[in-house]
Amino acid sequence: MTDRDRKTDGSGEPADADATAADATAADAQTADATGAAAPKVVEEGATLPGGSGWLPSWIARYRVPIGLVLVVLLLRPVVGLPFMLGFESIATTILIVVLFVAAFNLLFGYTGLLSFGHAMFFGFGMYGAAIAMSGQGPAPELPFIAGAGIGIGVAALVAYSLGRLTVQRGEIYFAFLTLAAAQAVYFVANRDPLGLTGGSNGISQGAQPPWVESFRGELRVTLVDWPAPVLDAAGWLDDWYLLVGVVFLLSMGALWQIVRSPFGRSLIAIRENEALARAMGIDTARYKVWAFVFSGSFSAVAGALMAVNNHGASQEWLSVFTSGDTVLMAVLGGVHYFFGPVAGVFLWEFAADYLTDFQVLDLGFVAVDISRELSHWKFLLGAVFVVVVLVAPNDGIWGYLTKYASRARERITEVFA
Amino acid sequence: MSDTDGAVERDDSEGAPDAPDASDATDVHGAVIDPAVGPAEAALATTNLRRTFGEVVAVDDVSIGVEHGELRAIIGPNGAGKTTLFNSVMGSLSPTAGTVHLDGEDVTDVPEHDRPHMGLARSFQSNELMADQTVLENVRVFVQTAREGAFSFDLFRDHRNVGRDRALELLDTVNLDAEPGALAKNLSHGDQRRLGIAMALATDPEVLLLDEPTSGMSPGATQTTAGLIQSVQSTLDLTVVLIEHDMDVVLSISDRITVLDRGSVIATGPPESIQENDAVQSAYLGGMREEL
Repeated sequence: MTDRDRKTDGSGEPADADATAADATAADAQTADATGAAAPKVVEEGATLPGGSGWLPSWIARYRVPIGLVLVVLLLRPVVGLPFMLGFESIATTILIVVLFVAAFNLLFGYTGLLSFGHAMFFGFGMYGAAIAMSGQGPAPELPFIAGAGIGIGVAALVAYSLGRLTVQRGEIYFAFLTLAAAQAVYFVANRDPLGLTGGSNGISQGAQPPWVESFRGELRVTLVDWPAPVLDAAGWLDDWYLLVGVVFLLSMGALWQIVRSPFGRSLIAIRENEALARAMGIDTARYKVWAFVFSGSFSAVAGALMAVNNHGASQEWLSVFTSGDTVLMAVLGGVHYFFGPVAGVFLWEFAADYLTDFQVLDLGFVAVDISRELSHWKFLLGAVFVVVVLVAPNDGIWGYLTKYASRARERITEVFA
Repeated sequence: MSDTDGAVERDDSEGAPDAPDASDATDVHGAVIDPAVGPAEAALATTNLRRTFGEVVAVDDVSIGVEHGELRAIIGPNGAGKTTLFNSVMGSLSPTAGTVHLDGEDVTDVPEHDRPHMGLARSFQSNELMADQTVLENVRVFVQTAREGAFSFDLFRDHRNVGRDRALELLDTVNLDAEPGALAKNLSHGDQRRLGIAMALATDPEVLLLDEPTSGMSPGATQTTAGLIQSVQSTLDLTVVLIEHDMDVVLSISDRITVLDRGSVIATGPPESIQENDAVQSAYLGGMREEL
């Protein structure tokens, strides 16, 4: 017992594992493996980081998700802006918001194992809440963005809680049906424009812009930020809507990450992995599922509220069943068992949507084919990728494939240099 | 461990229609019809527990009383209702009739997920684990559950700091040599059985229900596991109820044996008396004939 403890607590000496593995017998190598595998690197996704604690300082390994998120925010816009990528930067903001939405959805789907086919409604609560408040649509008083977003998020949490209480114990397929039905109900209510609140099929496009944001050459600028103004001004960031979204994105994604790594989140994973076992071992599965639904719905509403500003209002399209369906597809494409799965999934999606539809002529040298018409059905092509992903590795997706490929490559390199 | 000679001999008036004649007829000395102890004193007791699936009576008015610190084996031919009895006791199936008492308390209507927090734990007949999680996490998450209760908003800590040492200790207790960081699905069958016991122990039980802990094991591993069960029982001071097919294991480690056939108890008693019981022998032979 104490022996094993000592072995597994060896993360303190990062250099040791490599040294042991390099000049060691098989038995020693195993010890080194144990050190790497069992110490802080009992990884969320169930995969262990090869190379062990010797490869990275342990705090980087431990906080690689938040570090990665910061890198995503910093690198996304310049990367997206590259000429051979999407070519224009403003879509980066949209990508961040959708990533947050899909990650919130994935807390429920990927981590708890509940497939909601109606997540568009939660996004919609945030979006319409913010848009209605800002525009003072219908009888609603004009309220600041924060109030509207708060109301939207509150409604989302409340609906998720009540719907969850009714549905989470009904079995997976019924949960999918019932969430779909609820989302359709919300869609049709919004379509009827009750009290002139939702603007019917036109959505809300007038006046749904907070006073601290202005459009400048098609880009949004934040005008009313006067806190660390000199610093931000020097960096040229003061008026940047993207960075404001980035901050909210980081806070929300950080919160989702903390949920996933907390004991609470581990109970969710236990439910996903084997619900009968979890219940027999004393986990109140129904309550955990309801609260996972509440957290998932609330963060979806946060994303929706951001989108209301980003898109200058609310549109009914976002409430539709297509949004719910796309969310599922993006999550699965990216890899539902990975925290970064949604990042990969959304990026691939947006990339496919934009790149493939812009792609006009396939030039093979001797013959050039105009395939723009075929490529306008990009969702069909993405659907083919989706089918492959589900058949090959339904839980791993693109991100799972990439991480496995990367770790294999790293092993190879370590072997060569050792 | 428990003195069976002193146990009150009681007639099971509710007994199954096909069983009482046989047990009366044999009258083997010491073969006591359950309950050996009543629900008030027993660590675990069922009273006229009954579970039906449509027309099929899987568990038929079963009354057993397991004493504190006892190691009780439940044997019987395939389809005798052993696992259904376990499931009814654990609450994963709700009994059609009858009651379950845990340490004198009626838990018949207690939800399944609350029973482990009252000291009742089980292992499964098939290897029920979280296949894609590490060996350590398979145990750790239930150590956490035992400490925090059936539900807890424990959102601000890192799960790796909760129950990790205890989980490693339990892996050691069941002699699991596999790396704590290995994935559970990559363990051998025998190691997965042991992991199942470690998971059940993670809930800190007083009464432990083991459903065929040695199934699929080699004779050597079976003996090791039998020894493990005994040592775990004595070190942790447990009451153990064991479903087991390996008669050598049953006869060597159990204090009392309860024989189920077609859903009802046909005999309960210390190993020696059960071995000589005619009803038991005919049930087993009958069972075998059916299988053929």
